[in-house]
Amino acid sequence: MARAARSGTRTDVALFVISGFLALLALVLPANLREAAAAGLRRSVVAPFVALQRRAEMSRTALVTQDERRTHTDSIALRALSAPAIESENARLRRLLGLGQRLQYGFIAAEAIHAGPSREEYTLTLTAGARAGVRPFSPVVAADGLVGMVQTVDPTMSLAIVWSHPDFRVSATTVDGSAFGIIAAHLGSGADRYLLELRGVPFRNELTPGTLVVSSGLGGVYPEGIPIGTVLRELRTTEGWARTYLVRPAVVPSEVAAVMILRPQRASAGVRSVWSSVASADSAARGVVAAADSIVADSLRAIAARQRAAAARAAQAAAAAAAARGDTTAAGAGPAPGASTRPPAARPAPRPAARPAAPRTDSAAAAAPRPATPPATPPAAPPSVPSAPDTAARPPR
Amino acid sequence: MNLGLALRTATAFMVLVLLHYTLRPMLGWRAPLDFLVVAVLLVAVRVRPGLAALIGCATGLASDSVTPSAFGAGALALTSVAFGASWLKAVFFADNLFLNGLFFFLGKWTFDVVRLFAERRLRGVELVMETLVWSPLSAALTALAGVLLLVVLRPLLRSSNA
Repeated sequence: MARAARSGTRTDVALFVISGFLALLALVLPANLREAAAAGLRRSVVAPFVALQRRAEMSRTALVTQDERRTHTDSIALRALSAPAIESENARLRRLLGLGQRLQYGFIAAEAIHAGPSREEYTLTLTAGARAGVRPFSPVVAADGLVGMVQTVDPTMSLAIVWSHPDFRVSATTVDGSAFGIIAAHLGSGADRYLLELRGVPFRNELTPGTLVVSSGLGGVYPEGIPIGTVLRELRTTEGWARTYLVRPAVVPSEVAAVMILRPQRASAGVRSVWSSVASADSAARGVVAAADSIVADSLRAIAARQRAAAARAAQAAAAAAAARGDTTAAGAGPAPGASTRPPAARPAPRPAARPAAPRTDSAAAAAPRPATPPATPPAAPPSVPSAPDTAARPPR
Repeated sequence: MNLGLALRTATAFMVLVLLHYTLRPMLGWRAPLDFLVVAVLLVAVRVRPGLAALIGCATGLASDSVTPSAFGAGALALTSVAFGASWLKAVFFADNLFLNGLFFFLGKWTFDVVRLFAERRLRGVELVMETLVWSPLSAALTALAGVLLLVVLRPLLRSSNA
């Protein structure tokens, strides 16, 4: 009875039919009337709810975009953190690119892989090997100057010792050629760990701090003119005949990421003009300071010229004697017939006897297998380096 | 229904309508909660079927006003659901949470099916997917939310059961 009283009334059915009819009518209304009816509702009854819904959607959008913005900000911050490193690497690569343009030919670009986590920089692994044309004893340079020398060559990679290696040696000179010496690792401790020493500088050559030191070209491995470092100060030593200077290196091995390996023909052709801008800048800066040493420099140059002339005369005499004897062995071992007909004056002046390729005064000798017994005769010294120490004869530290 | 109960029921109805226009857009789920169906069902089981049909129709027309292309579809669906809910409640419904959840689920699913067919917007696979996948999912979520709201609002609506 209660069921019939609640569900079966005609009023309920009538209201349901009316409601359904209204809904169906709304469905089948023409578009303009439907839009008008909907707009009327939107602007009156539903307006506050639509406003609420809009604000809720805006809040959600704000939340979503806040997350996106935070992510974006984080990524920007991350990029900003790495930006200095990227800029630094860009600058290094640009300088190396400039070096490649100045070298023009005869070099092999390689990446330098640092050996271990301790960053004890004695050697570098280079990503170019024999297949790329790398040969042992090839000089390794960076945009700022000398890095080291190739020691071991594999088909696809090679191993180079850097200047901080205890056995590293290179014959060096000041950029104006006023003083010669041998560059070696300082092997100090603390802040002086990664510094160089310019040893065997004649006592009469007093170098001022800031003097640029470059490779001298003596020894046959490193061509002349590669920047090595700048003089910091003189070291007190027990040697009374020569001075030793502390040199700040031009290249820090731990910061080297890409290098150039010079091919033998490029090294023999010389690279003096490659770093000439650096050298000229240094010369201009030190011109006034070095004026007082000009007399000494002139006398050194005169000695060197005299020695070159004597060597040329000796070579001419030897060639004439061989030709007079008709020694076939000497003729076969000599230059080509076309070359032998050149007048002696047209030939390039041979290197002075004081600059022999062997025995080497630099790292090549150190890297080469050491003889069981020391050489019978001491090596000849370069003109301005009296009795430069031979690396092979250097006592171990 | 006395005046106090009517006021409390109207308050619960407004709270649910407000939730529909605030919480639902904030959540932004693919299968949305439908507090409007819960509100209509809550009211429908407490009034006569005819009045429930009218309330459903009015609520449906109001909600359809923001989608003029389907104007009337929601009204037709809510009218049907509200009338049916009120009639079924009068016939055999019990005060049980699980049954209330099932009631919300079926009400919401029916509402979606009627609305989808009435508005004739989707066809083919889309219609089947919406009817058999997304609508049941939305109905399940709505049922869950409805049960939770029923528990929360029970003190407000208790006298209606007494």
